[in-house]
Amino acid sequence: MIEGFRLGVFSRGATLWDGLDFAFGDAAAWFVAGPPSSGKTLLLSILRGERKPDAGDVVVSGESLYRGNAALARAWRASCGHVPEQTVAEPRLTVGDLFLRSALAGGGMRGGERKDRADRLLEMVGLRGASGWRTAELSLSERTRACLAAELLRGPKALFCDGVIAGAGIPWREMLWGLFRALAREGNTVVLAERTIPERWALSSGDAEPVGPFRVYRLPVPGTAEKGESG
Amino acid sequence: MSGRPSLWWIDWRLSRGSLVLETIGRFLYLCLLGFGLLSLSLSGGASRFLAERYAITAVLRAEVPPAEAEGLARKVAALSPVRSATYRDPEAAWKEFLRAYPGLDPLRGAGGNPMPGYIEIRIRPERLSGADIDLVVAALRSVSRVEQVLAGEEWLPRLLRAARFATWIGWGLLGVFLAGFFLFARLQERARAVALSGDFAFLADRGVPVGRLAVLRAAGAGVSGFLLAAAGTAAGGGALLLSLREFPFLERVIGPPSDILLPRTVAAAVLFSCGVALLSATSSLLGWRAARSGRK
Repeated sequence: MIEGFRLGVFSRGATLWDGLDFAFGDAAAWFVAGPPSSGKTLLLSILRGERKPDAGDVVVSGESLYRGNAALARAWRASCGHVPEQTVAEPRLTVGDLFLRSALAGGGMRGGERKDRADRLLEMVGLRGASGWRTAELSLSERTRACLAAELLRGPKALFCDGVIAGAGIPWREMLWGLFRALAREGNTVVLAERTIPERWALSSGDAEPVGPFRVYRLPVPGTAEKGESG
Repeated sequence: MSGRPSLWWIDWRLSRGSLVLETIGRFLYLCLLGFGLLSLSLSGGASRFLAERYAITAVLRAEVPPAEAEGLARKVAALSPVRSATYRDPEAAWKEFLRAYPGLDPLRGAGGNPMPGYIEIRIRPERLSGADIDLVVAALRSVSRVEQVLAGEEWLPRLLRAARFATWIGWGLLGVFLAGFFLFARLQERARAVALSGDFAFLADRGVPVGRLAVLRAAGAGVSGFLLAAAGTAAGGGALLLSLREFPFLERVIGPPSDILLPRTVAAAVLFSCGVALLSATSSLLGWRAARSGRK
């Protein structure tokens, strides 16, 4: 369980938001929708333990990320996957390099095993045989899916995706819908931050919990309790 | 997967191509430095050259019997700064004199062999200093059988000073080249840290402590620096060995090939490798720091 208590952020000389409470339960896929410049990326970085909130605290499985043991916070970050909003690509990197550094972050993996798993994951996100492609030559959608696949290589307990649905594009929504629900069913926590939620997803998720400028949805996962916890 | 990322040789894992080129360049440079180091270490700068040419001559009194002179030469040879002490009897001295000044045979006809016997003393290259020469000269002068000691004391201090300067210049040049290695390595490390900054940021973002990353990179650079320096010195030693065999006259300046494996030469190579390891690790840390401060 990832909980945010009375979270507040002060940015550019003003309060972006303050006093927000979140509760993202385990084995679930969560969707945080918010307008541009509402602080979605900031919220994800706070929940991952990367950026200390100006007010409030984040508690993961009962341990404070910012007021507790720094080693625990690092362990939490190591167990997280993060797909950032795709802006610029490093010209040097190939898709295979994304998997290599993801494997390094996960503690190393034999080359053969990494290649096998990378090939399977790339095939799953519609990028079969893309290992040798340069990321700078990929489209935004391809880059987003490649980064997502590379994060999944480590098998993260919690996956934070920033603008992945919009970045991947409409043709890949169904695949992502199935993927995130499958991850949740396996016990992982998925938190997605987007400007808008696809209409079909919103209909399936039921009512959203309004939290500050955000609307938090819990995506339905077959075989699990589907009651929203945020707010 | 294990719990903690394996960050050893992380640069090698992330950027093999550029690291191979850097490593080849560093190895070749260290071969050159290794060659210079061993040459300087064996030659002692200008000491071996001087020691090869310098000798103390102890002229013996005419009445000293050959057996006693031989015994005296053995005692002189036992002095710690002395490399060799050879007795030349009057007859050998006369022949040497004639070789040096041919056509002076009539001098002998007048009253027999005018040349006295003498002991030629050569000093160890590493002990060729004013104090050690004074020690040997004082020991010789205290012997009643020695009539005169010729040690070139008028010009020797100037010569030793010049030799010392030459040695300093030699070691100074090696130091300059070593400093060049450090500066170049620092630039390479910085460029690599900048090139891989995206990967390091990625790892830091996923809970890898930045300090640990920097320290392990530096440790990797240190270990590879040590191995490269050891390999480079070995290759430089091989080249020196071949040069000494190919050009025997170099032995007079540098020393015999067998000296390459002397414990003190090996110790110098190990010390050099440790120094290079330290410089490599420091250049890695400085390059990392410069790359990070440049990004801010």
